Amino acid sequence: MRSRRMKRLAFVAVALAAVGLASLGAAPGAEIEAEQTDFRRILDQRREIQKDAKPGPSEFYFTRGVYSSWRRYSWAVDYPKADVQFLAAVNTLIDVDASDEENAVRLDDPGLRRFPFLYILEIADMALTPPEVVGLRNYLLAGGFLVVDDFWGSYAYANFERQMRQVLPGHQIVDVPMEHPIFNAVYRIDEILQVPAFGNWWGGVTTECRGCDVFARGIFDEKERLMVFINGNTDLGDAWEWFERPEYPLQYSSFAVQMGINFIVYSMSH
Amino acid sequence: MFEALFEFLFKYRPLIFQQGELAFRTSFVGYVSVALAGVAALLMLRTYRQVRGNSRPADRVLLTALRVAALAVLTLCLLRPVLVLSAVVPQENFLGVLIDDSRSMQIADQDGRPRYEFVESTFANPDSEVYSALNERFALRFFSYSSDTDRISTADGLAYAGTRTHLGRALNRVNEELAGVPLSGLVVVTDGADNADEGLGESLLPLQASGVPVFTVGVGREAYDRDIQLGRVEAPRRVLKGASISVELMVTHRGYRGETVTVQVEDEGRIVGTEDVVLPADGDPQTVRVRFTASDEGPRLFSFRVSPRSDEMVTQNNVREALVVVEDRSQEILYFEGEPRWEVKFLLRGVQDDENLRVALLQRTAENKFYRRNLEGPDELVGGFPRTRAELFRYQGLILGSIEAGHFTPDQLRMIADFVNHRGGGLLMLGSHRSFVEGGYAGTPVAEVLPVVLDQLGDGPEDASAERSADPSRSRRGGFYQEVSVQPTRAGATHPSTLIADTEAASLERWKTVPPVTVVNPITEVKPGATTLLTTPEDLVVLAFQRYGAGKSMAFPVQDSWMWQMHADVPVDDMTHETFWRRLLRWLADGAPDQVMASVPQERAEPGELVTVLAAVGDENYEELNNSNVVAVVSDPAGGLVELPMEWTAEKDGEYRATFTAATEGFYDIRVEATVGDELLGEDTTYVQVAPSDSEFYDSTMRASLLQRVAEETGGRFYTPDTVDNLPDDIQYVGSGVTVVEERDLWDMPLLLILLVSLVLGEWGYRRVRGLA
Repeated sequence: MRSRRMKRLAFVAVALAAVGLASLGAAPGAEIEAEQTDFRRILDQRREIQKDAKPGPSEFYFTRGVYSSWRRYSWAVDYPKADVQFLAAVNTLIDVDASDEENAVRLDDPGLRRFPFLYILEIADMALTPPEVVGLRNYLLAGGFLVVDDFWGSYAYANFERQMRQVLPGHQIVDVPMEHPIFNAVYRIDEILQVPAFGNWWGGVTTECRGCDVFARGIFDEKERLMVFINGNTDLGDAWEWFERPEYPLQYSSFAVQMGINFIVYSMSH
Repeated sequence: MFEALFEFLFKYRPLIFQQGELAFRTSFVGYVSVALAGVAALLMLRTYRQVRGNSRPADRVLLTALRVAALAVLTLCLLRPVLVLSAVVPQENFLGVLIDDSRSMQIADQDGRPRYEFVESTFANPDSEVYSALNERFALRFFSYSSDTDRISTADGLAYAGTRTHLGRALNRVNEELAGVPLSGLVVVTDGADNADEGLGESLLPLQASGVPVFTVGVGREAYDRDIQLGRVEAPRRVLKGASISVELMVTHRGYRGETVTVQVEDEGRIVGTEDVVLPADGDPQTVRVRFTASDEGPRLFSFRVSPRSDEMVTQNNVREALVVVEDRSQEILYFEGEPRWEVKFLLRGVQDDENLRVALLQRTAENKFYRRNLEGPDELVGGFPRTRAELFRYQGLILGSIEAGHFTPDQLRMIADFVNHRGGGLLMLGSHRSFVEGGYAGTPVAEVLPVVLDQLGDGPEDASAERSADPSRSRRGGFYQEVSVQPTRAGATHPSTLIADTEAASLERWKTVPPVTVVNPITEVKPGATTLLTTPEDLVVLAFQRYGAGKSMAFPVQDSWMWQMHADVPVDDMTHETFWRRLLRWLADGAPDQVMASVPQERAEPGELVTVLAAVGDENYEELNNSNVVAVVSDPAGGLVELPMEWTAEKDGEYRATFTAATEGFYDIRVEATVGDELLGEDTTYVQVAPSDSEFYDSTMRASLLQRVAEETGGRFYTPDTVDNLPDDIQYVGSGVTVVEERDLWDMPLLLILLVSLVLGEWGYRRVRGLA
């Protein structure tokens, strides 16, 4: 009798502990999800995705590429908080006439070329339509600059390679050496850090998959000009999105902001 | 015809009356006859008064007048009027005969016969009436002249190969040589071409002073029936390799109105450009602009040619040559940007492939933080914008982007102005919210050199900086903003900096399709002397330039020309944006001198002619130096080298001169080196082409007006082959030297006889008609 009660108590304690632990582990994820949902809803209520983008009076727009994917809204991860927060940092740290608003534009939008800086992420599920392939190709060959971010593992990378083979056939994806000017445009970057997602860091790790080392690769044109910068196995966007949180390590948020600013200044001078 | 009629009536030619003085040689018998005539007149008057008959007063007056007039004519004859003349004494005077032996005398415009045939048949043929008449009266001295004047024994056997004609110099030379002898005059047989640099008027003064008349005989046609001529070519002396050269030349013609001819440009036999031109009315000059690319470096002799027609009278004037030195060097341009902008990216991309342009970028990314690109070395611009003239003046061009005037010190602003004014560089200011008035440049030295008027109502440089520091966003928002369509002006349609296609026509069409851009600097007024190249339908200035001091400045108040590359309507492979910037920046830096610049004033020299070499020498601040050691190393076409020390001219600061005689035909290479102590200031190479001049065949019609002027101003006369028979007689009475007084009777002029008979018959006839006979 007594042992049965003890077993029952032990079971309840373990269950409570498990629930408690689960709650702790889930808290940031849920919190993040809640915040993003609210943010997105508010913005969606304000305006839809621009179909007819105009440059307006600002010089620089942090433009997020809207693309087709198997998973809906892959393009919109961290959007728009990451974009807006990053722009706040840009306008504080360098003297560029940057719009402080987010700017999402479809890859097949004729107005895409008015924004020579483009950012896409979460490309594991990217499935470009033919108009998007043509749109992105013309964009890059005319002089546009693309930054790719926040994808993990070989499957995602392989998918991205497939997509880019359609966009830029004959152009290889190669490593970007640390001596490249993009790593010294404003901030001197001596080492590529693996920037974790906010949720992952809460769990104490930087990677989202085992054996996924960070890399920096790119696609160059026939005149050796960098057209595409690929941040692999890292999540700069999350750092931009959460750098105001004290629990997010300053080391990674600083690095992400520095890289982002280097991207901007490099793309606006090369 | 007039002269023949005159001579019939008056017995002598008009020249005799011009040269002679009227006098009367009345004898005693003559006076008696005049007295008797006077008495007869009085009796006649009395008779008409008393005997009226059925005559009216008017009849009597008229009849009286007729009879008195007849008596007057008779009296005049009895008074024995004479013309008193000075006539040269035969064989007591010399006569200089100058024969033009230049190439233009070979032109066959005398019914297919060359001009020199007239010379040989008239002045070299002893059987010629003119020659024999002259030879009887004068001691003839023959001279040939073109660029030099030489004494010859006879007018026969001349080569007619002279490449230039100096008429005035020849006249003075002969006058000096014959100064010690009695000289009746000078006869010049020529087509009137004169290539001398000095004015002919000055050359005639000594002749006028010594009273020697010049008798000019013009040979050749005053106008050709059918001829096409290429006028002088205006081509740059130096260009960058790969430059698009625009050359203007003049085409004149006779007899081909409305026809289309093709002007071809050749580079050592290879056609590099063509342009069709429709010929206007006869004699009207037509300006033709031909464009071609200078692909090969070095001294290039470009030929401009119109294919000769089979019926053209002169074909040697269908080709012109121009020496252009094509330099394969890098023009250095400093581009200073105040903030990251897309204009930077696409401008640099546009000129990236141009090996002759280096655009060094200094871009401010944050307060006191700069990004540098396209550097020659790690130390270039390491301290930011240059603080010394030497550091700035090393560039040929300067571009100011979105950088406010307040960023510069007052000395830097002055330095930028001196970069244009003194150093001879090219300044370009781009549009942005920190440029022009919006950037606080109004009232600064930079505003003085810009080609546009900056309204003084804008903030000063200090205010703009303070505003920006206090609230960066405020300086970027608000104010003027307009999207505009750009169109070239008339000047911009043909200017090399705004040519965005291979031909002017294609460029004009392309300008119609370029996407709109945006302007935040409303500029509507350019300075006097400035030229607007691009504008908008709203009359905003989009691109303007002016020459200022030794350099030039341009204003391009557009903030996003990169839209001509990135607009959705622009094909990916379109090169308009690249072409625009490449040509604009090349033109901006073109002509900016180096510290040492060598030049040869004449484009071309003849074998044996003295060639002058000039050098302009300055220090790193482009201050003229008069104490430099300057040497010119001359390489002749055969490869021989001569080192010439150059001396300061003392006429102009920093200018050095040396001369040498170019003996051989071909290209001479002249390298000038300047040093101060052991320091090499710089070196430069120039070229000169040595070849016989081709100027004789251009404007080679007979210059009757010039020859008439020479004759009139010296007291001589002008003749053509049709009137040259009068030459010997005219010289006899017009010429100077040893003369004798001659009297020619006038009483027996046919005119007087005709007059007398007419008056007598008229009086009788009137009486018959009136029934008074």
